[in-house]
Amino acid sequence: MKQKTNVILGMILLLASLPSFGQKTENFYNVDQEIYIEGKIQNIVMEPRYKENSPFLIITLEEKDTKKLFTVEISPVEFFDQDFHKGEFLIVTGSLTSSGETGNNIIAREVQSKGETFILRDKHGFPTWRGGKGQMSRKGKRKGTRF
Amino acid sequence: MRKLGFLILILLTVHMTLLADSFSLSFSQNMTSNLFQNRFAERDQLSNLSFYLDKNFSRFSLFAEGTYSYLFENSNLAYYIQDAGLDYILPIDEKSAFYFSVAGRGMFYRSEYADFNYMSSNFFAAFKSYLSQTSILKLNYSLDYKNYRDSVFDFISHSLLVSFDKYFQSKTTLKGEIDWGYKYFYSPYIYDEVITIETDNNSMGGKGKGSAHGSEPNVYLIESKTEGQGIQVISLSGLIAQGLGNKIGLRFSGMRQWVLSGQNPFFFIEEFYMVENPTYDRFSWEGYQLGSQLTLLLPWNIQMKLGYTVSQKEFPGIKSLDLEGNLLGITRKDKRNQIDVRAEKNFPRFSVFASYIYVHNRSNDLYFDWSGHFFAVGIEWNIPLGARQ
Repeated sequence: MKQKTNVILGMILLLASLPSFGQKTENFYNVDQEIYIEGKIQNIVMEPRYKENSPFLIITLEEKDTKKLFTVEISPVEFFDQDFHKGEFLIVTGSLTSSGETGNNIIAREVQSKGETFILRDKHGFPTWRGGKGQMSRKGKRKGTRF
Repeated sequence: MRKLGFLILILLTVHMTLLADSFSLSFSQNMTSNLFQNRFAERDQLSNLSFYLDKNFSRFSLFAEGTYSYLFENSNLAYYIQDAGLDYILPIDEKSAFYFSVAGRGMFYRSEYADFNYMSSNFFAAFKSYLSQTSILKLNYSLDYKNYRDSVFDFISHSLLVSFDKYFQSKTTLKGEIDWGYKYFYSPYIYDEVITIETDNNSMGGKGKGSAHGSEPNVYLIESKTEGQGIQVISLSGLIAQGLGNKIGLRFSGMRQWVLSGQNPFFFIEEFYMVENPTYDRFSWEGYQLGSQLTLLLPWNIQMKLGYTVSQKEFPGIKSLDLEGNLLGITRKDKRNQIDVRAEKNFPRFSVFASYIYVHNRSNDLYFDWSGHFFAVGIEWNIPLGARQ
C-alpha cells in the first residue's frame, strides 16, 4: 500500500505535466454590464458553455418585479457544492452578456441564498471557484483551524 | 518512500504555480483557552499561513494547498500540511453528473510528534441527480488510505453516503441521509509469539526471524506478529431547513450512529487536539448529535452564522480511567455542548472572518471533563492568474 500511495501521487504529477488547454472566450465577464437582480428559481440544468470545459450549472431566474426570465451562469463545481431547488429565492450580482430577443444571460459573480453568500468571481470577473470542491463536506476552505 | 512522496508533492505544487488559473493566500490567528482539550486547560495561540492554487484544463481541475501552522507556547507542535489532487466532472445529462477526485496529502510535524506524520491518498466519487426540480438524490463514495510514520496507526477506510432531499414551496427543505463506513487498521496489535520447531538429533536450529531460546530436542523462536482491527459504523441523519424571508436561514439536524462491528483498537491516546487521533474520528463512536444553525445576511453584506450542537458519544473499546490512571471498568462516554458564532465579510479581492466557539465536554473519564474557548480571525486574498472567461 505504501508503494500504491506513491504511484497515485506520481500519476497526479504526470497529469499536471500535460499541456494546458486555453479557455475560450466566446462569452466573457464585462464589468461595465454588471447588474443586480432578485428572483425565484424556475429551472436548473447542467449545460455546456465553453468548449472543452466542464458544463456549468445554469439557473433560470424569474425577476421579482418585472417577471422577466434570466439565464444565470453559475459555475461547474457549484452543481455539486450547492443544492438549489425550483422556487428558492436568489439574489444575483453579475454581468449581463445578452438581452432582448436573444435572451437575458448573466454570468454570476455573487449569489445570495438562504442567508448565505457565494462568491463565484472577483470584481473583475475572474473565477474564484476551486477544484476539489466536490468534496466540500470533507475539505472545503480551511479557514480558521481544526479546533 | 515517504520522502519521495513529499518531494513529488512539492514538485507538483511548484509546477502548478507556474500554470495556475487562480491563487489565494490566507492567514488566520487563533487563540484558545484549552489547547489539548482536557481537564488541565492550557492556553495557546496558533498562526496559520496557507496558499491555494488550481488549474483547469478541459474537464479536469488540478489543485494544491499548503498550510503551515505555528504554536506560540507549544512550538514543538508546529506542522505543515500539503495537499494536491485533481478532479473531474462527468455530466450524464442536464440533470445528472458524476464527480471524481484523486488527492494526496502529506502531514509533517516537528520531530517530537513525528510519529504522527503521514502520507495519505483519497479517491472520491459522487453522483448527483435532480429527480425533479425540487428533489435531489446524491450518492458519495470515499476511499482513504493513510500511511503513518508509526505504522501502528496505518489504516484504510471506505464510506458510502446516500442522500435525498425535497424542497417545498413553503421554503422548507427536508433531507435524509444514510451513511455507512468501514475502517481497517492494519497493525494496531503487536505481540510476540513463541514458535516451537521440533528438531531431530541430526539437525539443530530453525527458520525464521527472532531469537532462539530453546535447546534440543526443540528450538523456540520469538516472532513479532501483528493483527488488524476493523470497525464498521452506520448512521442515519435528518435535516429540516427553513427560509425566513430572503436573508435568513434556519436549520435543525439530527444524527444517530451505531457501531455495527469491531471497536477501537487503541486503549488510550492522549487527545492532542490537532494531532491525528484514531480514537475520536467518525469511526470511533456511537451515539447521537443534534444541531441547529441560524444564518443571517446582515447590513453591509456581512454573513453571520450562529450554531448550537449537543452530542452524546460512547467509544467502544476505550475504557475510562480515574485521574490517577486506574481503570474504572466502564466504557468512555462523553456529552458535549458547543456554541459556534462566525461572521464573514467578502470584499472584491479578499474576505475576512471572525469566529468564536465554546465547548463544554462532560465525560465519565475525568481527564476529558473540560471546557474551552476558541477564537479565530483571518483574511483570505484571491489573486486571479487565468482567463476571465
